[in-house]
Amino acid sequence: MIDAMNNSFFQFTAITAVFLSAVLLHITKRNSTAVSLYFIQSLAVAALLFRPLFENFSLAVLLMAGLTLAIKAAVAPLFFSRLIKRHQLKFSASTYLNTPLTLIVIAALAALTNSRIFSHIASIDPDNKKILGLAIAVILVSFFLIINRKGAVSQIIGILSLENGIVAFALFSGLEQSPALQIGVIFDLFVWVIIAAVFISMIYKQFGSLDVTELKHLKE
Amino acid sequence: MELILIIGSPIVASIASFFSSKRKACETATIIAGAVALAAALFAVLKVSSEGTYSPNDYFSIDALGAIIISLIAFIGFIAALYSTAYLRRETEKGIIGFEKVRLYFILFNLFIAAMFLAASTSNPIIMWIAIEGTTLSTAFLISFYNKPSAMEAAWKYLIINSIGLLLGFFGTLLFYTALTHGEGIAFSWDSLMDSAKNLDPMIAKIAFIFILVGYGTKTGLAPMHTWLPDAHSKAPAPVSGLLSGLLLNVAMLAILRFKVVADAAIGGQFTGNLLIWFGLISIVLAGFIIMVQKNYKRLFAYSSIENMGIAAMGFGFGGIGSFAAILHIIYHALAKSLLFFSSGNIFLRYSSTKIAKVKGMLSAIPATSLVVVIGFLTIVGVPPFGIFMTKFYILSEGLKTHPVQTIIALVSFVIIFVGFLTHAAALLFGNAPEEISKEKENKWTIIPLAILIIAFVVLSVYLPPPLKILIDSALIKYQ
Repeated sequence: MIDAMNNSFFQFTAITAVFLSAVLLHITKRNSTAVSLYFIQSLAVAALLFRPLFENFSLAVLLMAGLTLAIKAAVAPLFFSRLIKRHQLKFSASTYLNTPLTLIVIAALAALTNSRIFSHIASIDPDNKKILGLAIAVILVSFFLIINRKGAVSQIIGILSLENGIVAFALFSGLEQSPALQIGVIFDLFVWVIIAAVFISMIYKQFGSLDVTELKHLKE
Repeated sequence: MELILIIGSPIVASIASFFSSKRKACETATIIAGAVALAAALFAVLKVSSEGTYSPNDYFSIDALGAIIISLIAFIGFIAALYSTAYLRRETEKGIIGFEKVRLYFILFNLFIAAMFLAASTSNPIIMWIAIEGTTLSTAFLISFYNKPSAMEAAWKYLIINSIGLLLGFFGTLLFYTALTHGEGIAFSWDSLMDSAKNLDPMIAKIAFIFILVGYGTKTGLAPMHTWLPDAHSKAPAPVSGLLSGLLLNVAMLAILRFKVVADAAIGGQFTGNLLIWFGLISIVLAGFIIMVQKNYKRLFAYSSIENMGIAAMGFGFGGIGSFAAILHIIYHALAKSLLFFSSGNIFLRYSSTKIAKVKGMLSAIPATSLVVVIGFLTIVGVPPFGIFMTKFYILSEGLKTHPVQTIIALVSFVIIFVGFLTHAAALLFGNAPEEISKEKENKWTIIPLAILIIAFVVLSVYLPPPLKILIDSALIKYQ
């Protein structure tokens, strides 16, 4: 009984950390803070992946959770931190909506998770309905982050945060795939992070800015 | 063995190109890999047409529609390898690119082909997702190949929009997985999904399919998620544009169709059919208006791809003879569109511009390519007796029975597109070529691959080889 309570407290704390970091990603203006928030979010997701190992040890799960931790909480933040340092990209480009409006939209998106459609999805696992609701909120808030931000770094972190939301949803709804497939997805993510980082560098060299609204060469 | 050769040969060619210090080695490895993959694909296709499916192990299974897509990838991929060799040589002669770029091209080109083969042949939806994401990663640097600001911008847009789309598709895939949670230890495959489709909650099935359609629909270029496509397809090197339009869109469409049959088994075909019809119609109408006012011939072809994927989506949405025509349509479109994009490479090599206003008098400047472009234009707009005329005819006739309003709107759009294409064709072909345009003879190796595509298109317009006929019939049973 106590174990079950501890477990649900742990899960709720972890998903709250994931959700709060997604919300704070909207508020922060500094790229380095955004990377730190993504680091915290990834750490929480990795902790959720490690948790089952305390009950049933599995080498495959350990490998998969370890890789997730290494790539999401170490490699990706390190890549972006070095990029920010190299190009001195202290501040992220602005948002389309101002902070109060952004917060209102976030609140509306969080409320939307109680709508008929999303609440139906959250009912996949009735025991975890509230947690799944939060995971869906992370997906929606991250999606909004990609749309609302003008900075390339923020957009990339938004996509990674969206991926964290989906992973959290899969974990709590019991829809996670076999470790082999998850390793495949993580490898994909690893390559994606490298390519995205290279592109950010190339865009900065080409345009002298990471504000995506400056990209106007395709308008013919 | 066939599958190892199909997927393995482009990977080997990519590795060989990576370690190569000579252009010829990269070219030879790519062409040999293309030929090996084509031969192996033909063997696999024959197996599928005689046995129904080809499943060498738990992770791979080729069904009839998968076999059609694989044979298209193998055939057009081989032609693209031949054309790329000639095209990149001409670009190097003109000083546009150097050896390092050529090497990068062949490394990524082969990885792209391998990823498409993997996506079409795997029996696992997650591996298919990984492979389709792999196509995004391998082509992003091909779109930014020329390092121009506009190409960089197009590649960025492509990477971001497709990554978001694919993540939504991934979420949809996970929702479909709920069908299997009733049976512990069941492997996640298309077959197990189909067998468990009845376990899917109808509401979840609907939501999951919407995520799949929006997610993979982004990659298919269906409007309104198409915004990356005209930019990416127009900025990539011509052979890559041909592969993106002719093949990759079909691979993404295959993913949508595979989920559609699962959703249909759970909730009936009306919901998914209507969604496909509406997304298809929006794509056709939007492409129609933009084609009319288009100023860039590569973007013109790209918008035509949006239109044609819309036609296929409508065909699959209508079902019945519409599905039969839609399967044929994706075959014809793959051939015709790669033909047009490859010929756009020849136009660019001579005129150094993709703007229609700067390309005049093609008939006198590049007569052989002009002939190809004329045939390409006639095929893509669906002039009889070319195959696309028949597929459009069948799709519209099926649509008139069940969705007359949408069908008539599509028909009006086809007329607009026909007029638009004719106007642009006249502008490109006639008039006097600018004086600075060289009158030298066209390189035969930039024409021969196009001639092969024309022959294939014409033959398939009037005659379907028995194995292909069997494949289409089997695909129809499953996907209509």
